[in-house]
Amino acid sequence: MNGIRLAIMHWKVGAMHEVQYRVNFFLQLIDSVIRLATGLIAIWLVFSHTDDLAGWSRHELLVVMGIHILLSGINRTFVEPNVFQFIYTIGEGEFDYVLARPVDSQLLVSVRNLRFWQLVDVVVGVVVIGWAVSGIVETTSLPEVLAFLVAVSCGAVILYCMWMVVAAAAFKWIRVDDTVQLLNGLFQAGRWPVTIYPGWLRLTLTFVVPLAFAITVPAESLASKLSGGMLVLTVIVTGVMLLITRVAWQRGVRNYSGASA
Amino acid sequence: MPRASALCQADVFMPTVDVLELRKVFKVPVRETGLRNSLRSLFRREHRMVHAVRGVSFSLEPGEIVGFLGPNGAGKTTTLKMLSGLLYPDGGEAHVLGFRPERREAEFLRRVALIMGNRNSLQWDLPVADSLELRRAIYEVDRVDFEVRKAAYTEMLDVGELLTKPVRNLSLGERMKVEILASLVPHPQVLFLDEPTIGLDITMQKRIREFVATYAADTGASVLLTSHYMADVTALAERVIVIHHGNILFDGNLAGLSDRFTAHKTIVVAVAGELGPLAHLGRVVEQNSFKAILEVSRDEIATVAARLLADYSVTDLSIEDPPIEDVIEQAFAIGEAQEAEEAGEAHP
Repeated sequence: MNGIRLAIMHWKVGAMHEVQYRVNFFLQLIDSVIRLATGLIAIWLVFSHTDDLAGWSRHELLVVMGIHILLSGINRTFVEPNVFQFIYTIGEGEFDYVLARPVDSQLLVSVRNLRFWQLVDVVVGVVVIGWAVSGIVETTSLPEVLAFLVAVSCGAVILYCMWMVVAAAAFKWIRVDDTVQLLNGLFQAGRWPVTIYPGWLRLTLTFVVPLAFAITVPAESLASKLSGGMLVLTVIVTGVMLLITRVAWQRGVRNYSGASA
Repeated sequence: MPRASALCQADVFMPTVDVLELRKVFKVPVRETGLRNSLRSLFRREHRMVHAVRGVSFSLEPGEIVGFLGPNGAGKTTTLKMLSGLLYPDGGEAHVLGFRPERREAEFLRRVALIMGNRNSLQWDLPVADSLELRRAIYEVDRVDFEVRKAAYTEMLDVGELLTKPVRNLSLGERMKVEILASLVPHPQVLFLDEPTIGLDITMQKRIREFVATYAADTGASVLLTSHYMADVTALAERVIVIHHGNILFDGNLAGLSDRFTAHKTIVVAVAGELGPLAHLGRVVEQNSFKAILEVSRDEIATVAARLLADYSVTDLSIEDPPIEDVIEQAFAIGEAQEAEEAGEAHP
């Protein structure tokens, strides 16, 4: 069965389910506003002392923050609920039923849930990015916008891969909820461009947990700081991450021993 | 062409399930009790190998319903999960409908169903009908076929009123019925039923049994069924496979099971007049002046029956196999003894 159809079918069901809980919408809105406000205060604090943070202007940093919010929204709408449900089903033995279905198990696990109201963050992220870009002095060219779209899509995929690789560890260790929380903590480091961090941390955030490719690179594309080579590298890293995720998943399924064993 | 037709015929009679020396070993962490040991196991975890299935072989024909019996932990569920592609075997080979289950091809998964009692595979918060629709799409069931089967099965299982309710609002028995409905709508040709009637009341058990029997008869599907309720097995299966500690102890028809594992039959005799002492004929289970129940060894059944008929004016006499529960219990006990013996030989 077609993967997109499978996803849409589940998302429709998920959306129908979520819309019933309107209070979640308001909670999500409040949550987004608080996080936006704290983010803005942090940027304001930094720029009350200096005009430039490791080569990034105030508006460019706002772009980074906007992308961070946008990707966080995508992740919390589409990825995280599925990862948590998967970890739960592994613990409860209900993963048997995922494996029994005649569709790809990784695909099915990745699309079963949708946290509709988290899309608020996606909207907030887009607004912040638009606002920030309008404040950048040099105008953003069309190729830069295209590069941004490619980079931000890669970013979303990279985040999906990071979460899924950790999730696949549940095949072996069952309880990996805490590891997912750890990932969320690391993700917070992406609020700032990785270039402001000291060398060791920058390297970690580039090659171990590829947040640099997920968040900083899309921001660089809008801030006219991105080279073509870096964009190509981002696409390659995304491909490699997808491959690693796939291998981790397949190995996991092969070693799956069920909950009753 | 005679050759081609011979091939076709061979194809028709090809077993739907063919298992050869299938094995599964689980690596299980050894957890000791107490906080100190738990803390130690944080750093040094010991593992133990559990041989859940130790080389089982059997095959099923199309339309055949086979009871798969064994005590808890015998390897039944593990075997069923390997055959439905959920667990990767550690040895041996299985073919189901010509597919290797562990390859988990979509076509294979569409044509088999694993139904586990007490477990839920439907969307918890959705009305049953929505779950069915989702299932239809995933299994790519033709719309018309889907509606026809849904209507027929809904009627047979008497679940019409349940379709609009969310799964979480259903009772255990109701859930099992819709679970079976959802699993059979794609028309699987091989059915693995793991304790499908567990926790259900007698009427519900009966309904599910009847439904499974009808489904197998109508579609020619093969069914491998585990159950702790012997009524399920005796009602549905002519053939049983008994598994114990991952080994097959017995594979044959139900009657053969008691021949193999119990050396006795029971004679129930009623007479007009007075019964004398019967202890010399066999073990007296129960006796009053005009009726007795005797346990007699299989070789002597004919002789004892003839003696009774000659000595008394018999009004009724029946020869029965011991209750199937007792036979199974006996089989497990023999399996246990055999194993102890083998272990004893291995470590004198």
